[in-house]
Amino acid sequence: MASPRPILRPLSHFRCSALRPTSSLTRTSGITPVRQLSSSPTFSAPPTPSPPSLSPSQHHQQPPSASAPKPKKPLTPAQQSFLSSALRVNQAGELAATLIYTAQTPPLVAREPHLRPLMRHMYDQEAGHLRTFNTLLASHRVRPTALYPLWSALATGLGWTTAMLGREAAMACTEAVETEIGGHYNGQIRTLLEMVGQWEAEGYEVGEEFRELIATLRRIRDEELEHLDHAVEHDARKAQPHWLLTGVIRAGCRGAIWVSERV
Amino acid sequence: MPPPAVSCSAAAVATRRVLSRPLRPTALAVKSTTTPSPTITRSIAHSSRPTASSPFHSRPSQLKPTCQPSPATPLLRTYHSHSHPPPAGPFTPAEAQLLSAAYAHVPAHGFTPDALALGARDTGLLDISPAILPDGVFSLIQWHLHAQRTALAGKVGDVLAERVVKGRSRGNLTVAEKVEAITWARLRGNEESGVIGRWQEALAIMAQPSYVPASLKELAQLADEILYLAGDVSVDPSWYTKRASLSTIYAAAELFQTTDTSPELRETRAFLRRRLDEAAQAGGAVRSVGEWLGFNAGAVVNVLRSKGVRI
Repeated sequence: MASPRPILRPLSHFRCSALRPTSSLTRTSGITPVRQLSSSPTFSAPPTPSPPSLSPSQHHQQPPSASAPKPKKPLTPAQQSFLSSALRVNQAGELAATLIYTAQTPPLVAREPHLRPLMRHMYDQEAGHLRTFNTLLASHRVRPTALYPLWSALATGLGWTTAMLGREAAMACTEAVETEIGGHYNGQIRTLLEMVGQWEAEGYEVGEEFRELIATLRRIRDEELEHLDHAVEHDARKAQPHWLLTGVIRAGCRGAIWVSERV
Repeated sequence: MPPPAVSCSAAAVATRRVLSRPLRPTALAVKSTTTPSPTITRSIAHSSRPTASSPFHSRPSQLKPTCQPSPATPLLRTYHSHSHPPPAGPFTPAEAQLLSAAYAHVPAHGFTPDALALGARDTGLLDISPAILPDGVFSLIQWHLHAQRTALAGKVGDVLAERVVKGRSRGNLTVAEKVEAITWARLRGNEESGVIGRWQEALAIMAQPSYVPASLKELAQLADEILYLAGDVSVDPSWYTKRASLSTIYAAAELFQTTDTSPELRETRAFLRRRLDEAAQAGGAVRSVGEWLGFNAGAVVNVLRSKGVRI
């Protein structure tokens, strides 16, 4: 896919700061001294086969000596409520994204059949994300958002309306949504890395559960930003009036995120 | 065993009213002596719930639920980790010691201050010690509810295996069958622990206005536990409807159970099955109507599109 570079240039700053995991890392204070414990910047390396069954000694609170297998720290109530609201809002967001693409596809493809593979590709990725978060919610016993029907209706309406406005508006919608979502995932990843970094600093084990969660969030964030690039490549910036459309949609996204974290 | 001195338990009740509020902060302050006292007093004064902006610079003394009336977890349902050790239960060690001793006296003495006083004596504590309980007798009821609910996870394997042997179904049980089996195991728990003869008293206490929120929360947690153990993975609006209907059914079945005199509580089990079947039928009807509406709406849109309407 030929990418018109001039259009991409305004985004280059965002891409650099968002796509490269280490650059955002080093800026967060208090993490840098801990980094040597996890040499790999992506957190996916050495999968230490920690036995899932906890030995009795692992229930002790105090950090152990370096030789013994390190225990895992119990989650504080604040961390638990952060994790539950993070997973809840992510599920709501991915639900909305699948519905936006579902509603956009028929009117858009009827007018511009060449967009069919792109819409299909983006929808498939969003559906995969939704499945991921549905599984995570069920296994971690997180309550889904109570406003599920409301988000479904609003997302379908948004997708259909922007598709009726034309290809540029539909792509501007994708651009606005994915910009917000990319920043939102970045914030979550940063908080999780802080949390994990603090555990490592205190001498606790960081289990597969959290390494996988961070890796999953990173993968999904990168795919969302890929959608952003696709949208910009397909003339999202030519929508009229671009500032109004993206401004309204981004404000709506932020409001929905704020509400879904709580309800 | 001599009956407990009424004057003693009455004194306990009277003192509890006076002492219970000041006592809990004191106990907390004694527990966390390592932190400087200004922090502690501040955290108590605000009953601090940490702000969302910086939840991870953990200050343990502030993150503990301090003097909230019910010392349970702050949110109803939060992230459940499979690899990290679970957070501490809702009872402090002293409370747990007293309540577990008093619980043994419930079949004979009911959910009363007498049972608490006898429990305190059994553990060698002073007769005044039930005053440490924030809610007095209601704490004893919470102890029962909490113990029965957390015991379900250990029982579930046996319960489901028994259900497979008894039922004609080979191997895989449906989620509805598992829900029925686990709910029945929970109801059996009322009988096995010997409190069923006293449960009407407990329900009366739980229905007191100041205890209703905590009782409903416990009921919701029980429904959530049952559905989780049964392997229900729905994460859409049916998450709410399933929990609401199961809570209602459980509460009704428990009320039925208190007056059931049939052998092995057969009537209660039949009652439970009827209610669950009805809920399943109602849910099926709602789902069918929804499917019909959705199908027709989709068909209308597609017909219009085929006629060239650009929607």
